[in-house]
Amino acid sequence: MKRDEAPAGDVQSPCNNVCRMNPDSGLCEGCLRTLDEIAAWSGLDDDEKRAVLAQLPARRTAR
Amino acid sequence: MKLPRSIRVIERGWLSANNIVLEERSEAVVVDSGYVAHAPQTLALLERALAGKKLARLVNTHCHSDHMGGNAAIQKKFGCAISIPQGEAPAIDNWDEQQLILAVADQRAQAFSYDDTFRDGDVLQMGGLDWQVIAAPGHDTHAVMFHSPEARVLISGDALWENGFGVVFPQLFGRETALAETRATLEAVGRLDVDVVIPGHGPPFGDAGAALERAFHRLEGYEQDIARLARHCAKVMLSFSLLEKRSMPLAELPAYVARVPILAELNSRYLRMTHAAMAEWLVNELERAGAAGRREGLLLARGE
Ligand SMILES: [Zn+2]
Repeated sequence: MKRDEAPAGDVQSPCNNVCRMNPDSGLCEGCLRTLDEIAAWSGLDDDEKRAVLAQLPARRTAR
Repeated sequence: MKLPRSIRVIERGWLSANNIVLEERSEAVVVDSGYVAHAPQTLALLERALAGKKLARLVNTHCHSDHMGGNAAIQKKFGCAISIPQGEAPAIDNWDEQQLILAVADQRAQAFSYDDTFRDGDVLQMGGLDWQVIAAPGHDTHAVMFHSPEARVLISGDALWENGFGVVFPQLFGRETALAETRATLEAVGRLDVDVVIPGHGPPFGDAGAALERAFHRLEGYEQDIARLARHCAKVMLSFSLLEKRSMPLAELPAYVARVPILAELNSRYLRMTHAAMAEWLVNELERAGAAGRREGLLLARGE
Protein backbone atom coordinates (compact mmCIF):
# COMPACT_ATOMS: atom_id res chain seq x y z
CA MET A 1 0.00 0.00 0.00
CA LYS A 2 2.73 2.42 0.90
CA ARG A 3 4.77 3.41 -2.08
CA ASP A 4 7.24 5.74 -0.43
CA GLU A 5 10.88 5.08 -1.25
CA ALA A 6 9.79 3.51 -4.54
CA PRO A 7 12.40 3.69 -7.27
CA ALA A 8 11.32 6.27 -9.83
CA GLY A 9 11.34 5.91 -13.59
CA ASP A 10 8.98 3.12 -14.51
CA VAL A 11 5.57 3.83 -15.99
CA GLN A 12 3.00 2.72 -13.43
CA SER A 13 0.09 0.49 -14.33
CA PRO A 14 -3.26 2.32 -14.38
CA CYS A 15 -4.98 -0.64 -12.70
CA ASN A 16 -7.17 0.59 -9.85
CA ASN A 17 -8.30 -2.83 -8.70
CA VAL A 18 -11.79 -2.77 -10.20
CA CYS A 19 -10.74 -5.45 -12.71
CA ARG A 20 -14.12 -6.09 -14.31
CA MET A 21 -14.61 -6.09 -18.07
CA ASN A 22 -17.54 -4.21 -19.55
CA PRO A 23 -19.07 -6.56 -22.13
CA ASP A 24 -20.34 -3.68 -24.30
CA SER A 25 -17.20 -1.57 -24.51
CA GLY A 26 -14.69 -4.41 -24.16
CA LEU A 27 -12.84 -2.22 -21.66
CA CYS A 28 -12.02 -2.75 -18.01
CA GLU A 29 -14.49 -0.67 -16.01
CA GLY A 30 -11.67 0.48 -13.74
CA CYS A 31 -8.68 1.32 -15.94
CA LEU A 32 -10.40 1.39 -19.38
CA ARG A 33 -7.85 -0.89 -20.97
CA THR A 34 -8.72 -3.75 -23.32
CA LEU A 35 -7.97 -7.35 -22.32
CA ASP A 36 -5.07 -7.37 -24.79
CA GLU A 37 -3.63 -4.20 -23.29
CA ILE A 38 -3.85 -5.59 -19.75
CA ALA A 39 -2.41 -8.98 -20.74
CA ALA A 40 0.44 -7.37 -22.68
CA TRP A 41 1.21 -4.53 -20.22
CA SER A 42 4.08 -6.17 -18.41
CA GLY A 43 5.89 -6.90 -21.66
CA LEU A 44 5.59 -3.36 -23.06
CA ASP A 45 8.47 -0.91 -22.95
CA ASP A 46 7.97 2.49 -21.33
CA ASP A 47 7.07 4.24 -24.59
CA GLU A 48 4.48 1.60 -25.41
CA LYS A 49 3.03 1.90 -21.91
CA ARG A 50 2.80 5.67 -22.30
CA ALA A 51 1.02 5.17 -25.61
CA VAL A 52 -1.61 3.03 -23.87
CA LEU A 53 -1.98 5.57 -21.05
CA ALA A 54 -2.41 8.37 -23.59
CA GLN A 55 -5.53 6.71 -24.98
CA LEU A 56 -7.32 6.38 -21.65
CA PRO A 57 -8.63 9.96 -21.11
CA ALA A 58 -10.53 9.90 -24.41
CA ARG A 59 -12.08 6.57 -23.49
CA ARG A 60 -13.17 8.00 -20.17
CA THR A 61 -15.00 10.91 -21.81
CA ALA A 62 -16.50 8.60 -24.45
CA ARG A 63 -18.17 6.53 -21.76
CA MET B 1 16.24 -6.82 -17.17
CA LYS B 2 14.98 -9.52 -19.46
CA LEU B 3 12.72 -12.48 -18.89
CA PRO B 4 12.95 -15.71 -20.88
CA ARG B 5 10.38 -15.79 -23.69
CA SER B 6 8.61 -18.70 -22.04
CA ILE B 7 7.57 -16.50 -19.08
CA ARG B 8 4.72 -14.02 -19.37
CA VAL B 9 3.69 -11.87 -16.46
CA ILE B 10 0.11 -10.60 -16.34
CA GLU B 11 0.56 -7.67 -14.01
CA ARG B 12 -2.54 -7.20 -11.87
CA GLY B 13 -3.08 -4.86 -8.94
CA TRP B 14 -3.17 -5.09 -5.17
CA LEU B 15 -6.45 -6.95 -4.71
CA SER B 16 -5.39 -9.57 -7.25
CA ALA B 17 -1.85 -10.89 -7.34
CA ASN B 18 0.00 -11.13 -10.65
CA ASN B 19 -0.66 -14.17 -12.81
CA ILE B 20 2.53 -15.64 -14.21
CA VAL B 21 2.20 -17.83 -17.29
CA LEU B 22 5.04 -20.21 -18.09
CA GLU B 23 4.83 -21.94 -21.45
CA GLU B 24 6.51 -24.95 -22.92
CA ARG B 25 5.54 -26.21 -26.37
CA SER B 26 1.77 -26.75 -26.29
CA GLU B 27 1.36 -26.64 -22.51
CA ALA B 28 1.41 -23.95 -19.87
CA VAL B 29 1.55 -23.52 -16.11
CA VAL B 30 0.18 -20.48 -14.30
CA VAL B 31 1.36 -19.23 -10.94
CA ASP B 32 -1.31 -17.61 -8.71
CA SER B 33 -4.93 -16.89 -9.57
CA GLY B 34 -5.93 -13.48 -8.16
CA TYR B 35 -8.86 -12.44 -5.99
CA VAL B 36 -12.21 -14.21 -6.26
CA ALA B 37 -14.14 -11.07 -7.25
CA HIS B 38 -11.80 -10.62 -10.22
CA ALA B 39 -12.11 -14.21 -11.44
CA PRO B 40 -14.06 -13.39 -14.66
CA GLN B 41 -11.33 -10.98 -15.80
CA THR B 42 -8.63 -13.44 -14.73
CA LEU B 43 -10.20 -16.18 -16.85
CA ALA B 44 -10.44 -13.86 -19.86
CA LEU B 45 -6.84 -12.69 -19.45
CA LEU B 46 -5.57 -16.25 -19.16
CA GLU B 47 -7.53 -17.30 -22.22
CA ARG B 48 -5.80 -14.52 -24.19
CA ALA B 49 -2.39 -15.31 -22.78
CA LEU B 50 -2.70 -19.04 -23.40
CA ALA B 51 -3.80 -18.50 -27.01
CA GLY B 52 -5.00 -22.07 -27.39
CA LYS B 53 -2.25 -23.72 -25.35
CA LYS B 54 -3.43 -26.21 -22.75
CA LEU B 55 -3.26 -25.02 -19.16
CA ALA B 56 -1.84 -28.09 -17.48
CA ARG B 57 -1.34 -26.80 -13.97
CA LEU B 58 -2.04 -23.94 -11.58
CA VAL B 59 0.53 -23.41 -8.83
CA ASN B 60 0.20 -21.15 -5.77
CA THR B 61 3.03 -19.37 -3.99
CA HIS B 62 0.78 -19.31 -0.93
CA CYS B 63 -2.89 -19.53 -0.10
CA HIS B 64 -3.99 -15.99 0.66
CA SER B 65 -7.17 -14.64 -0.91
CA ASP B 66 -5.39 -12.48 -3.48
CA HIS B 67 -3.31 -15.42 -4.73
CA MET B 68 -5.76 -18.34 -4.64
CA GLY B 69 -9.17 -16.65 -4.91
CA GLY B 70 -9.44 -17.58 -8.59
CA ASN B 71 -8.30 -21.21 -8.15
CA ALA B 72 -11.78 -22.73 -8.27
CA ALA B 73 -12.82 -20.73 -11.34
CA ILE B 74 -9.61 -21.56 -13.23
CA GLN B 75 -9.89 -25.23 -12.33
CA LYS B 76 -13.49 -25.30 -13.58
CA LYS B 77 -12.81 -23.48 -16.85
CA PHE B 78 -9.49 -25.02 -17.86
CA GLY B 79 -9.66 -28.40 -16.11
CA CYS B 80 -6.08 -27.99 -14.93
CA ALA B 81 -4.39 -29.65 -11.97
CA ILE B 82 -3.67 -27.52 -8.90
CA SER B 83 -0.49 -27.70 -6.83
CA ILE B 84 -0.07 -25.91 -3.52
CA PRO B 85 2.65 -25.64 -0.86
CA GLN B 86 2.49 -28.67 1.41
CA GLY B 87 2.17 -26.52 4.51
CA GLU B 88 -1.03 -24.95 3.20
CA ALA B 89 -2.75 -28.30 2.67
CA PRO B 90 -4.40 -28.67 6.11
CA ALA B 91 -5.93 -25.18 5.93
CA ILE B 92 -7.26 -25.89 2.44
CA ASP B 93 -8.51 -29.37 3.42
CA ASN B 94 -10.46 -27.92 6.33
CA TRP B 95 -11.14 -24.58 4.62
CA ASP B 96 -9.83 -22.92 7.77
CA GLU B 97 -11.03 -19.33 7.38
CA GLN B 98 -8.84 -18.14 10.24
CA GLN B 99 -5.64 -19.75 8.99
CA LEU B 100 -6.37 -18.55 5.47
CA ILE B 101 -7.10 -15.04 6.78
CA LEU B 102 -10.51 -14.90 5.13
CA ALA B 103 -13.53 -14.10 7.31
CA VAL B 104 -11.28 -12.86 10.11
CA ALA B 105 -10.11 -10.12 7.76
CA ASP B 106 -13.41 -9.66 5.89
CA GLN B 107 -11.89 -11.31 2.81
CA ARG B 108 -13.34 -13.98 0.59
CA ALA B 109 -12.19 -16.89 -1.53
CA GLN B 110 -13.82 -19.86 -3.22
CA ALA B 111 -12.99 -23.31 -1.88
CA PHE B 112 -11.10 -25.58 -4.28
CA SER B 113 -9.47 -28.98 -4.27
CA TYR B 114 -5.82 -29.47 -5.08
CA ASP B 115 -4.14 -32.40 -6.81
CA ASP B 116 -0.73 -32.40 -5.20
CA THR B 117 1.66 -30.46 -3.01
CA PHE B 118 5.31 -29.42 -3.09
CA ARG B 119 7.73 -28.28 -0.44
CA ASP B 120 11.08 -26.67 0.20
CA GLY B 121 13.78 -28.47 -1.76
CA ASP B 122 11.47 -29.82 -4.47
CA VAL B 123 12.05 -28.97 -8.11
CA LEU B 124 9.08 -27.99 -10.29
CA GLN B 125 9.24 -27.92 -14.07
CA MET B 126 7.50 -24.87 -15.46
CA GLY B 127 7.96 -23.26 -18.86
CA GLY B 128 10.83 -25.58 -19.77
CA LEU B 129 12.83 -24.54 -16.71
CA ASP B 130 13.60 -26.25 -13.42
CA TRP B 131 12.36 -24.21 -10.48
CA GLN B 132 13.73 -24.73 -7.01
CA VAL B 133 11.01 -24.53 -4.35
CA ILE B 134 12.28 -22.38 -1.47
CA ALA B 135 10.43 -21.94 1.80
CA ALA B 136 9.50 -18.28 2.31
CA PRO B 137 7.86 -17.99 5.74
CA GLY B 138 7.03 -14.61 7.24
CA HIS B 139 4.07 -12.98 5.51
CA ASP B 140 2.59 -16.49 5.39
CA THR B 141 4.23 -19.31 7.36
CA HIS B 142 3.74 -21.77 4.54
CA ALA B 143 4.58 -19.57 1.55
CA VAL B 144 7.23 -20.53 -0.97
CA MET B 145 9.26 -18.86 -3.71
CA PHE B 146 10.36 -20.40 -7.00
CA HIS B 147 13.90 -19.87 -8.23
CA SER B 148 15.36 -20.82 -11.58
CA PRO B 149 19.16 -20.86 -11.24
CA GLU B 150 19.43 -21.29 -15.01
CA ALA B 151 17.29 -18.27 -15.93
CA ARG B 152 18.30 -16.41 -12.75
CA VAL B 153 14.66 -15.54 -12.13
CA LEU B 154 12.91 -15.50 -8.75
CA ILE B 155 9.13 -15.76 -8.42
CA SER B 156 8.91 -14.23 -4.99
CA GLY B 157 5.19 -14.14 -4.19
CA ASP B 158 4.71 -11.73 -1.30
CA ALA B 159 8.09 -12.50 0.31
CA LEU B 160 9.82 -9.67 -1.56
CA TRP B 161 8.39 -6.79 -3.57
CA GLU B 162 10.25 -3.99 -5.27
CA ASN B 163 9.32 -1.84 -2.31
CA GLY B 164 8.71 -3.96 0.75
CA PHE B 165 6.96 -7.28 1.27
CA GLY B 166 3.52 -8.63 2.08
CA VAL B 167 2.20 -7.54 5.44
CA VAL B 168 3.44 -9.55 8.40
CA PHE B 169 0.96 -10.14 11.19
CA PRO B 170 2.40 -9.23 14.58
CA GLN B 171 1.90 -11.97 17.12
CA LEU B 172 -1.62 -12.62 16.00
CA PHE B 173 -3.06 -16.10 16.07
CA GLY B 174 0.09 -17.53 17.61
CA ARG B 175 2.49 -16.11 15.00
CA GLU B 176 5.21 -14.96 17.40
CA THR B 177 8.00 -15.92 15.04
CA ALA B 178 6.75 -14.07 11.96
CA LEU B 179 9.37 -11.30 12.03
CA ALA B 180 12.26 -13.70 12.57
CA GLU B 181 10.93 -15.81 9.71
CA THR B 182 10.71 -12.75 7.51
CA ARG B 183 14.35 -11.93 8.20
CA ALA B 184 15.47 -15.47 7.40
CA THR B 185 13.48 -15.42 4.16
CA LEU B 186 15.02 -12.13 3.03
CA GLU B 187 18.46 -13.53 3.85
CA ALA B 188 17.65 -16.60 1.77
CA VAL B 189 16.80 -14.36 -1.19
CA GLY B 190 20.15 -12.64 -0.72
CA ARG B 191 21.95 -15.95 -1.26
CA LEU B 192 20.32 -16.60 -4.65
CA ASP B 193 21.62 -15.65 -8.09
CA VAL B 194 18.85 -13.41 -9.39
CA ASP B 195 18.67 -11.12 -12.41
CA VAL B 196 14.92 -10.62 -12.35
CA VAL B 197 12.37 -10.84 -9.55
CA ILE B 198 8.75 -11.45 -10.47
CA PRO B 199 6.84 -10.31 -7.38
CA GLY B 200 3.26 -11.15 -6.44
CA HIS B 201 2.32 -7.49 -6.86
CA GLY B 202 3.89 -4.80 -9.02
CA PRO B 203 6.05 -5.11 -12.13
CA PRO B 204 9.03 -7.46 -12.44
CA PHE B 205 12.21 -5.73 -11.34
CA GLY B 206 15.92 -6.16 -11.76
CA ASP B 207 17.77 -4.90 -8.75
CA ALA B 208 17.09 -7.52 -6.10
CA GLY B 209 19.87 -6.13 -3.93
CA ALA B 210 18.29 -2.69 -3.70
CA ALA B 211 14.88 -4.23 -3.01
CA LEU B 212 16.40 -6.34 -0.23
CA GLU B 213 17.99 -3.25 1.27
CA ARG B 214 14.61 -1.49 1.38
CA ALA B 215 12.97 -4.62 2.79
CA PHE B 216 15.54 -5.01 5.56
CA HIS B 217 15.20 -1.33 6.41
CA ARG B 218 11.45 -1.73 6.76
CA LEU B 219 11.84 -4.94 8.74
CA GLU B 220 14.21 -3.26 11.19
CA GLY B 221 11.58 -0.60 11.80
CA TYR B 222 9.08 -3.29 12.74
CA GLU B 223 11.59 -5.21 14.87
CA GLN B 224 12.31 -2.08 16.86
CA ASP B 225 8.69 -1.11 17.29
CA ILE B 226 6.04 -3.81 17.05
CA ALA B 227 3.29 -1.19 17.34
CA ARG B 228 4.50 0.26 14.05
CA LEU B 229 3.92 -3.12 12.48
CA ALA B 230 0.47 -3.30 14.04
CA ARG B 231 -0.42 0.11 12.61
CA HIS B 232 0.84 -0.91 9.18
CA CYS B 233 -1.14 -4.14 9.42
CA ALA B 234 -4.38 -2.34 10.27
CA LYS B 235 -3.93 0.07 7.36
CA VAL B 236 -3.23 -2.75 4.91
CA MET B 237 -6.27 -4.72 6.03
CA LEU B 238 -8.66 -1.78 5.66
CA SER B 239 -7.09 -0.75 2.33
CA PHE B 240 -7.63 -4.23 1.00
CA SER B 241 -11.30 -4.28 2.06
CA LEU B 242 -11.82 -0.86 0.53
CA LEU B 243 -10.33 -2.01 -2.79
CA GLU B 244 -12.96 -4.72 -2.93
CA LYS B 245 -15.93 -2.70 -1.66
CA ARG B 246 -14.82 0.52 -3.48
CA SER B 247 -16.60 2.65 -0.88
CA MET B 248 -17.54 2.36 2.79
CA PRO B 249 -19.86 4.65 4.76
CA LEU B 250 -17.70 6.63 7.18
CA ALA B 251 -20.36 6.41 9.87
CA GLU B 252 -20.17 2.61 9.81
CA LEU B 253 -16.39 2.38 10.15
CA PRO B 254 -16.25 2.34 13.97
CA ALA B 255 -18.57 -0.68 13.99
CA TYR B 256 -16.53 -2.21 11.17
CA VAL B 257 -13.22 -2.02 13.03
CA ALA B 258 -14.96 -3.51 16.06
CA ARG B 259 -16.53 -6.32 14.05
CA VAL B 260 -13.67 -7.54 11.85
CA PRO B 261 -11.68 -9.83 14.15
CA ILE B 262 -8.21 -9.01 12.86
CA LEU B 263 -8.77 -5.27 13.22
CA ALA B 264 -10.35 -5.71 16.63
CA GLU B 265 -7.43 -7.80 17.82
CA LEU B 266 -4.84 -5.37 16.49
CA ASN B 267 -6.65 -2.63 18.35
CA SER B 268 -7.05 -4.42 21.64
CA ARG B 269 -3.44 -5.64 21.66
CA TYR B 270 -1.50 -2.74 20.23
CA LEU B 271 -3.42 0.34 19.24
CA ARG B 272 -5.73 0.65 22.24
CA MET B 273 -8.02 3.29 20.80
CA THR B 274 -11.76 3.66 20.94
CA HIS B 275 -13.38 2.22 17.83
CA ALA B 276 -14.29 5.72 16.68
CA ALA B 277 -10.71 6.93 17.15
CA MET B 278 -9.29 3.94 15.31
CA ALA B 279 -11.68 4.48 12.42
CA GLU B 280 -10.81 8.17 12.21
CA TRP B 281 -7.09 7.45 12.41
CA LEU B 282 -7.33 4.83 9.65
CA VAL B 283 -9.25 7.18 7.37
CA ASN B 284 -6.65 9.90 7.86
CA GLU B 285 -3.80 7.48 7.20
CA LEU B 286 -5.36 6.09 4.02
CA GLU B 287 -6.02 9.62 2.78
CA ARG B 288 -2.46 10.65 3.56
CA ALA B 289 -1.09 7.66 1.65
CA GLY B 290 -3.26 8.53 -1.35
CA ALA B 291 -5.09 5.21 -1.07
CA ALA B 292 -8.49 6.72 -0.33
CA GLY B 293 -10.50 9.90 -0.19
CA ARG B 294 -13.73 10.94 1.48
CA ARG B 295 -16.80 12.41 -0.14
CA GLU B 296 -20.42 12.72 0.92
CA GLY B 297 -20.05 10.57 3.98
CA LEU B 298 -18.16 7.82 2.18
CA LEU B 299 -14.61 6.55 2.28
CA LEU B 300 -13.73 5.98 -1.36
CA ALA B 301 -11.01 3.85 -2.90
CA ARG B 302 -8.54 5.79 -5.00
CA GLY B 303 -10.01 6.34 -8.46
CA GLU B 304 -13.67 6.31 -7.33
ZN1 LIG C 1 -0.16 -12.99 0.69
